[in-house]
Amino acid sequence: MIIIGEKINGSIPSVAAAIAQRDAEFIKDRARKQAEAGATFIDCCASVPEEQEPEALKWLIDCIQEVTDLPISIDSPSPRVLAEVYTHCKRPGLFNSVSGEGDKIDTIFPIMAKEENKKWQVIALLSDNTGIPKCAADRLRVFDRIMEKAKEYNIAPERIHVDPLVEMLCTSEDGIATNVEVISTIRRQYPTIHITAAVSNISFNLPVRKLINCCFLTLAMNAGLDSAILDPVNRDMLGHIYATEALLGLDEYCMEYIGAYREGLIGPEQKK
Amino acid sequence: MNSQIQTVADNVIKGKSKVIAGLVQEALDAGCDASEILNAMIDAMGVVGGKFKRNEIFVPEMLIAAKAMKKGVEVLKPHLAGDGANVYGKMIIGTVAGDLHDIGKNLVAMMIESAGFEVIDLGVDVPIEKFVETIQANPDVKIVGLSALLTTTMPALKDTVAALNNADFRSSIKVMVGGAPITQEFADEIGADAYTADAASAAEKAKELAA
Repeated sequence: MIIIGEKINGSIPSVAAAIAQRDAEFIKDRARKQAEAGATFIDCCASVPEEQEPEALKWLIDCIQEVTDLPISIDSPSPRVLAEVYTHCKRPGLFNSVSGEGDKIDTIFPIMAKEENKKWQVIALLSDNTGIPKCAADRLRVFDRIMEKAKEYNIAPERIHVDPLVEMLCTSEDGIATNVEVISTIRRQYPTIHITAAVSNISFNLPVRKLINCCFLTLAMNAGLDSAILDPVNRDMLGHIYATEALLGLDEYCMEYIGAYREGLIGPEQKK
Repeated sequence: MNSQIQTVADNVIKGKSKVIAGLVQEALDAGCDASEILNAMIDAMGVVGGKFKRNEIFVPEMLIAAKAMKKGVEVLKPHLAGDGANVYGKMIIGTVAGDLHDIGKNLVAMMIESAGFEVIDLGVDVPIEKFVETIQANPDVKIVGLSALLTTTMPALKDTVAALNNADFRSSIKVMVGGAPITQEFADEIGADAYTADAASAAEKAKELAA
């Protein structure tokens, strides 16, 4: 399972304060903890006005790169900011994100097509200029257009993390049926593509959010999800990931599950 | 112990089945004695069994260690004199008639094989005659292991042991029994030589009986 650690995000008040005061230790601590918990990528989102964003992101990237060698997921709604900032990363990372909206793809895909950027990956959201399509068929149409573009720019499916867009369960009329249909259809068509989700969106405005988050993760992984944007320091979530992988037959002899337990990543906190 | 042999033993304990063949080959190339490597691996499995008994490791960890050992033995076999990896002798194992459970029996077979035995596994639902015939066909058999997992197949276990006890080869073999409902008392009552509660203890006991 690919884990994109979400804890360095300016929409979190304490992180916003750290970015405003350029409190490097605060950011480094969050990067370190996520790395230790087994994150695959460290996401960084500045959540500041666009004109301040490149500078803030570069500062965040510096902080992260000082404490971990993990690749970075640069998170910005602006394709221009992503294009400006990515060269600041010491190693290939993840563009977070493009979608069917505006010129996002036509800004980012040409960068990814360059020989020196062959190892960069991208998150592609299944929204377009009309917003988030309601039904699965419409989201899959956005997906098809994104994949046409990917083919045009020679970007292999394994470099793409499709985000089917997770909306809050409390106002959904069909639970996660739309997500499951989108995920399983894509998984059937492209066995090597990555399918990701911002997990915690699902439980917005509901009590005991972690129950919903964990069960969502299990059901989505069963449909074909193999990547997720979440808090890896959250032991419940991480435990669910390892358990689900074992149950899905993706973990030979449960050795990953046992290994995570031995390393103290999952299960009750062990006193050292 | 030679450091290369030590490395082989360490990797058996860790269950690194992908690298073990290469490590055994390296040790052989460096001039290590094949039976010395084998004994080190057998001892390593003894360590693994001990950890399992003390609840320090889980079943899959024991499983992958035995798997690694098997890979190593494959490389070793052509270099071993006589009976190959068979240090202690032959063992016949099976689940008794009417009982189809094989997970526990397989685990015992694996651990006993890893302890330096040649194991003949007759599978599940094995009729009494099959055990008798196989023992007659293999006069060098030292141990016969019988498994029963159900209270309803305990009588079949009793009958099988009784048949072996009445056979003329009885004095040349030892009979071990096991399975969830089996106890030491029951083993004594039906005339078996030994009962063990888990796969690791079974391997230890088998070594002791065959020595």
